[in-house]
Amino acid sequence: MSMYPTSTKSLRACMICSIVLPNTTFVNQGCPNCEHFLELQGSSEAVHENTSSVYEGLITLADPTTSWVAKWQRLDSYVAGIYATKVEGILPPDSKAAAARAGVQYIPRDGSATEDSGEVDED
Amino acid sequence: MSTSNFLDQQFNDSDDEEDFNPSAHIDEDDVQPPATKDRRSRPPAEDEDEQGSRPTKRSRSRHQSGDEDNEDEAGGDEDEEGEGEDLGNDDDEDEEEDDEEDEVRGHTRKRRKRDARLQFIDVEAEVDEEDEEEMEDEEGDMPEEVHPDDLLDVRDDNRDDRRHRELDRQREMEASMDAEKQAAALRERYGRSRAAAIDSAVVPQRLLLPSVDDPSIWGVRCKPGKEKEVIFSITKRQQEQALTREPLQIFSAFERGAGTMAGYIYIEARTQNAVFTATEGIAFCYPRTKMILIPVNEMPDLLRVTKSKTLNPGAYVRMKRPAMYAGDLAQVVAVEANGVDVTVKLIPRLDYGLNEDVNAPATDKKRKFGKPANMPRPPQRLFNETEARKGRNAKFLSVNGGLGRRDYTYKGDSYENGFLIKDYRITYLETENVNPKLDEVSKFAAGAADGTEELDLTALANTLKNSVTADAFLPGDLVELSQGEQAGVVGRAISVRGEIVTLKVTEGMLVDQTIEAPIKALRKKFAEGDYVKVLAGKYQDEVGMVVKVKGDQVTFLADSNNQEMPVLSRDLRLASAATNLPSSGVYDLYDLVQLDVSTVACIVRVDRESLKVLDQNGSVRTMLPSQISSKIEKRARAVATDRDGSELRPDDTVKESGMESKQGRIMHIHRNFLFCQNRQQTENAGIFVTRSTNVTTVAAKGGRVQNAGPDLTKMNPALQPRNGAPNAGGAMAPPKTFGRDKLIGKTVHVKKGPHKGLLGIVKDTTDLEARVELHTKSKTITMKKDILAIKDPITGQSVDFNRFGNTRPKIGGGTPGRFGPNAAGPTPSWGGSRMGGATPAWKSGGAKTPAWSSAKTPAWQGGNDGGRTAYGGNDGSRTAYGGNDGSRTAYGGNDGSRTAYGNSTWSASAKTPNPYATDASSSTWGSSASRNAASPPSNTYQSAPTPAAYDAPTPGFAAPTPGDHATPRYGAGSYGNYATPAGAPTPGAYAAPTPGGYAETPGGFAETPGQWSAPTPAATGDDDPRYE
Repeated sequence: MSMYPTSTKSLRACMICSIVLPNTTFVNQGCPNCEHFLELQGSSEAVHENTSSVYEGLITLADPTTSWVAKWQRLDSYVAGIYATKVEGILPPDSKAAAARAGVQYIPRDGSATEDSGEVDED
Repeated sequence: MSTSNFLDQQFNDSDDEEDFNPSAHIDEDDVQPPATKDRRSRPPAEDEDEQGSRPTKRSRSRHQSGDEDNEDEAGGDEDEEGEGEDLGNDDDEDEEEDDEEDEVRGHTRKRRKRDARLQFIDVEAEVDEEDEEEMEDEEGDMPEEVHPDDLLDVRDDNRDDRRHRELDRQREMEASMDAEKQAAALRERYGRSRAAAIDSAVVPQRLLLPSVDDPSIWGVRCKPGKEKEVIFSITKRQQEQALTREPLQIFSAFERGAGTMAGYIYIEARTQNAVFTATEGIAFCYPRTKMILIPVNEMPDLLRVTKSKTLNPGAYVRMKRPAMYAGDLAQVVAVEANGVDVTVKLIPRLDYGLNEDVNAPATDKKRKFGKPANMPRPPQRLFNETEARKGRNAKFLSVNGGLGRRDYTYKGDSYENGFLIKDYRITYLETENVNPKLDEVSKFAAGAADGTEELDLTALANTLKNSVTADAFLPGDLVELSQGEQAGVVGRAISVRGEIVTLKVTEGMLVDQTIEAPIKALRKKFAEGDYVKVLAGKYQDEVGMVVKVKGDQVTFLADSNNQEMPVLSRDLRLASAATNLPSSGVYDLYDLVQLDVSTVACIVRVDRESLKVLDQNGSVRTMLPSQISSKIEKRARAVATDRDGSELRPDDTVKESGMESKQGRIMHIHRNFLFCQNRQQTENAGIFVTRSTNVTTVAAKGGRVQNAGPDLTKMNPALQPRNGAPNAGGAMAPPKTFGRDKLIGKTVHVKKGPHKGLLGIVKDTTDLEARVELHTKSKTITMKKDILAIKDPITGQSVDFNRFGNTRPKIGGGTPGRFGPNAAGPTPSWGGSRMGGATPAWKSGGAKTPAWSSAKTPAWQGGNDGGRTAYGGNDGSRTAYGGNDGSRTAYGGNDGSRTAYGNSTWSASAKTPNPYATDASSSTWGSSASRNAASPPSNTYQSAPTPAAYDAPTPGFAAPTPGDHATPRYGAGSYGNYATPAGAPTPGAYAAPTPGGYAETPGGFAETPGQWSAPTPAATGDDDPRYE
């Protein structure tokens, strides 16, 4: 399974899985990884809240399962596609709760989680 | 599992041809609803479904055995569903086998092996495998909705088992949400991705560190700035080739955008060859140059993400993006919940349509290409309604404020209190290293509608905070751990490396141990009495003594103003000997600065960042150094004139003649403005500004004015400071006496005081005082006019000053007394007496105006000097005079010349000085001699009485000679006749030699004042010797 942006215009990144897709894709099809609890499809408002147009670093992921990059970025369970290394934005609490309910551990993609892991690395 | 997944992936790729097979039998297996979505949108996604079939099978079998696990979700329907699934499962397996047979070719060896195994493997065995792979506690946590579409899709199938499964699904449909959830849960559990997601999410990232088994990462050069483009190109290539027999053998590719990692993209692959294949021929990507293999231990660094600073309302940022505002300071008003959109407050740069090109074809075109490039951007100015209405774009203006608020919408942007309020993406803003300057910030602060300042220093501090931490700690600082297990430990910093401070403990149990601590866990330790300097913040550069320490907060007493200032210990440092005092840079107190072309000001206060100046108009302003265009160097040679026309120079003391009568020392002279300092005045550091025409000189520096020609100040009594007598000007009935004070030149007698009894000549006068040159010694003394009595030149009687003063009006006669002729008319008698005293030359001068001044010189100044020198000669030669008659004669000749002039005046025979000198020396000289003996002029005119007093022997001479000459002339008032013929030429001729000759002697004579009276009689007795 894979999901690639069909155009490079008005790309947004999902704040949970960091996949980068055009806004219209999010609205029309939802997030390929998080749709089951984010329910972005059809709601541009939800798309606006849960995805961000501010992101850095692109990762094109051809094989999420084998790639160490995917593993490190915790993308290994997601579809192939283009992901961002850093997504700015604050996930609405509702979505966080929804993710938690769905059993998905929300990993902040804005770099705030890295500090912790960074410390862990040093240990 | 990862291996199997990988294989699955491969399988899919090769399996793609089949996706377009209408039979799409695989779908039948697919009870996993979410997959259908993908299928609908994109055929290739079916692979996934197909992949899913196997796990699904497993899941079902697993399900059979493990129903109990899902009790919470499945509920009562579980059983039914399970049965259904079971049915389907069998069919699936059959199908699977068929599939296998159909599509062996694309399979890898491994895959085939596994599939084959699957064929024969018992379902129960698969359960075990799943158990290995799945964590049971995770399962079923994810609800997933079942899309009805899935169920519809299935109807396309023509398989035998279709009915069965349809039945199942109908049951499912009938089932409640629980069932749907359970379906989702099943998918969660058995769908590869979900399970994996849960796996990796909980695993700490440190366990995800790359190992040698992981693919390698190569860094490939690319054109900086084109990283994203390259990634998209690679993605595209990968997508295209994924469907071929030779898919790209790369697992991922990534870039980290601009910054330190610009110019590289990173590709994850097993072999370098794969990297080449993936990147060869891609625009802006240069795989053949400098490809680097990233060491395994550096791989995590490639993906390190640092959190960007969170913005808080009130913080200051700098604009990056709209070129119009690039670099401008902005204040965050609000941050949208998504953390990306930020509302900022800006000082707008509006031209109100002034610079718009009227002939521009269309606005949209222009907008597209942007105008900042070719247009100067307007200056920062607060929104101005008037200008907006005036401008061409007035139609875009609308007022939406109310209740005193001034909010406008202008061309789609809103303006509040003159500020532009606009939303920008966070990418448009520079949040790091903002370093707002005070003058920038103050623009925001002054924005309150009621004029109050709302400068939020805390916000400012927050903005500035991060800039300090870097160098906050230096080796040698005494620090205290404030956090962590070792909190409270005090030590001295030994080294600072990045964020880590190494310190040597100085107190407590750990003493002398060296420990490391992060900066954020440290704070500087100060004790009361420490002398500290502030490094940053509001009180930056203040120095003072610590008076209180409370945690992080240290209160110190500033040296500058003796006020207590609270600061964070982090911002403090022990002040060393080299502490430099605060200064505002180039400008110092009392500097004269240029504010604008026409305004200068004197600095009266220097604050850290601002200056207080007193401008030439007397207003006090607070300025920033940047607002001052230049400093005007002090010009010591600057000159101005005061209201009397006297010269003013810096450091002169002047007094305002206006209301306040402020007195001060001139600091600066700028054109006709004087910046003066009065140390008694507290405001404005003692500086006041006045116009030069408004002051009078009180004291010139170094007594310069005395030397500088006639002092007009002193000649005008009205302008004199009346120290002793307030309102003296008013008391003297007519304060203005025009012209020259009649007292000047008079021989006076001092009635009182230390000089009582002495005679002198008035050289200069003011309202109340006169400067009298004493006969006794060559000294000019200032004394009150009251104590002077004027000696009548004729009668020799003393006239009290006041009486004299009373007669003055008569003398003046309302005519400029200076001009003798006029004065002579009305008061011949007085004039006679006086002028007599002044000797003929003066007379002649009086008669003829032009000659006056010149006449004065030789006649009585010269005469005067002559008189003095006479004494000098007299005194000096006193010893000589007895025995040295020859010299006397010589002097006689000399004197004769003098006498001659006197005679010439009288007799109007100007050209015959010598004969007179020889012949008439005795007689003529009698008069002049006597005059000289006792204060020349007065003596002359009071020759009758004086001789008795002074010249006991001379009366004989004196009495007749002057009497003859002076009396008739003056008495008749016809002196004019005499003057006319003789006056002009004669004094001129004699003036030069006579005083000149004697001028040198006064010095010597001055030393012998006491001797004067003694020799005089003798001198007078001899007449001539006096001149020796």
